[in-house]
Amino acid sequence: MSSDQLTSTKKTDSKAYRNGKQGTLVDRNNRSTIGQPTVHDPRMSCRNVNVYYEDKHAIHDVSLDIGKNEVIALIGPSGCGKSTFLRCLNRMNDTIDICRVTGEILLDGNNIYDKNIDVVPLRARVGMVFQKPNPFPKSIYDNVAYGPKIHGLVQTRDETDEIVKKSLLKAGLWDEVKDRLDKPGTGLSGGQQQRLCIARTIAVGPEIILMDEPCSALDPIATARIEELIDELRENYTIAIVTHSMQQASRVSQRTAFFHLGDLIEVGSTNQIFLSPMHQLTEDYITGRFG
Amino acid sequence: MSDNLTSSIDRHSNTDIVQKGLSKRYNAERRFKFYGIAAICASLMFLGVLFISIASNGYGALFQTHILLSVSFDSDILGGEDLKRANYQGVIKNSLLKMFPEVKSRREKKSLYSLVSSGAAFKIRNILIENPDFVGQTMDVWVPADDDTDMLIKGYMKRDVPESERRLNNRQIEWIESLEKEGRVEKKFNLAFFTAGDSREPELAGIWGATCGSFFTMIITLFLSFPIGVASALYLEEFAPKNRWTDIIEVNINNLAAVPSIVFGLLGLAVFLNFFGMPRSAPLVGGLVLTLMTLPTIIIASRAALKSVPPSIREAALGVGASKMQTVIHHVLPLAMPGMLTGTIIGMAQALGETAPLLMIGMVAFIVDIPGGITDPSTVLPVQIFLWADSPERGFLERTSAAIMVLLTFLVLMNALAVMLRKKFEKRW
Repeated sequence: MSSDQLTSTKKTDSKAYRNGKQGTLVDRNNRSTIGQPTVHDPRMSCRNVNVYYEDKHAIHDVSLDIGKNEVIALIGPSGCGKSTFLRCLNRMNDTIDICRVTGEILLDGNNIYDKNIDVVPLRARVGMVFQKPNPFPKSIYDNVAYGPKIHGLVQTRDETDEIVKKSLLKAGLWDEVKDRLDKPGTGLSGGQQQRLCIARTIAVGPEIILMDEPCSALDPIATARIEELIDELRENYTIAIVTHSMQQASRVSQRTAFFHLGDLIEVGSTNQIFLSPMHQLTEDYITGRFG
Repeated sequence: MSDNLTSSIDRHSNTDIVQKGLSKRYNAERRFKFYGIAAICASLMFLGVLFISIASNGYGALFQTHILLSVSFDSDILGGEDLKRANYQGVIKNSLLKMFPEVKSRREKKSLYSLVSSGAAFKIRNILIENPDFVGQTMDVWVPADDDTDMLIKGYMKRDVPESERRLNNRQIEWIESLEKEGRVEKKFNLAFFTAGDSREPELAGIWGATCGSFFTMIITLFLSFPIGVASALYLEEFAPKNRWTDIIEVNINNLAAVPSIVFGLLGLAVFLNFFGMPRSAPLVGGLVLTLMTLPTIIIASRAALKSVPPSIREAALGVGASKMQTVIHHVLPLAMPGMLTGTIIGMAQALGETAPLLMIGMVAFIVDIPGGITDPSTVLPVQIFLWADSPERGFLERTSAAIMVLLTFLVLMNALAVMLRKKFEKRW
């Protein structure tokens, strides 16, 4: 059934695409997804995902693939559901009692919302970096070592040392903190804290990293540093990033998905979205007419 | 041109209006500050009056009048070989008579003997049992004076009022004055007050029995209420689903916190004593009853502490794949600990000062022995204060205040401990 719906979406897509080519934009009242929500050989694929907060229908029927080793940016005005959608991908929404998710999200062909799926290993595979840097109130070392320790990835002190060093190196923080690993993580600057959180996430060895506006609390220099980092991380990880900054989306991502009021309006390569959007709403948003 | 004019007039009048209102605003602010300072001063004043009155009343109990007697351990008077059952009262009487040989009549002898506490005999008994070879010798011993003598020396009993209006007659006062002249009367530090159990005689009564009782009761209360309270708070706050049942439980916990404490005493009487047949007047039962009373306080404080842990910490832990349990134990609990400890110590301080429920389970009994364990009959500090405040002897008045000072000292120490623990745990960033 879901594949049927998908084909139907595809039909509208191609029509919409033609419209775009002819220079006329898809009408703002058209709420179905246009562009290319599917990719060949996806890492994660979401089909007809709906999210409800009690009675409020927060996300309507979103279908989207996340490709291997790509950075996909989720953009849209505040309250459009992009963060909610991101949090579905590692079942972070489970912590909210009133939140209900339907549809399927496949990771390696398994629906992560199946009853027999355990969220603990899922979250080890799909890591998350949050909007506000949230290091544990422990030392820098313990912050990074915590994940590997609880998952039993390390046994000896040497192994832990190595994984901490590797993660901090990957997060580009090693040189700044190598002499004060036993100092509290909360004593770092905002940008360093966020990189510490990234190091903490990659220490567990995830396949996918979800980032929820990771730079919104940082200054431009720290932001540039994180963006560089995202670019480097793309070699080994798949990254989904929610951002409010269109410049950031265009700088770091290969694909961009535009959300509006709970609908996935348009998705395509970042170049296409920013240079020749096909939907009226997308154009309005990226040109700054609203949002 | 005219437009310009009106706007400038408007601006001018606006500034005027603001200026006029300003003084009113500042006055309101000043008044409010004054009310606040006045309220603080009033409460500080009441507190000061309370402390001063307690301290001035209780200070006297730290000292006890002693009388120097030349005691001759005459084996004739002691009578018999068994030093444990010898006639020590006779020894005291004999030494008093030696000092005042003119006393002959039975009635006069009796009033002479009553100058010295009945505890004096126990004192020389202890001396003799420790050193049996003193038999046959004569030595000077300081023995506690009777309550009435003590009151006279401390100046609570006026010497110039008519004889019928005081508890010591003129002859007794003469004897005391002649003893004073010989330097045989002295106020010494009242060690007995801190080492003895309760007594019918004020000069022999001490606080140690009640302190031990309070200590055992608090131990029971702490070891039951802290783990149970924290576990319930953790479950309700972190794990329990939010539904009608948990709502009902929450409402009931809040209601329990408002239940008068004597009701818990009745519950303890009915359940622990009558149904389970636990020993009466025991710290064990007292601790159980106070646990029931303290639990709501600890649960409410612990839940508030858990709620105040930022959700970002939980998300961070869950985000790296920690299970719910690991998130709570590794991250949430350490951050909530200072608040939980504060709540617990406030609850414990409340329990330490609680009297009413303990009356119901028999901890109000007159108990002379120092309790040695949680099942021995005992009393607690506030109940001891209640008992002494109820006693007619003048000497118990100052002992009541002194006991209040001891209780307040413990409360201050506990609060200091709470502050210290909070500081210590907060240092972990």
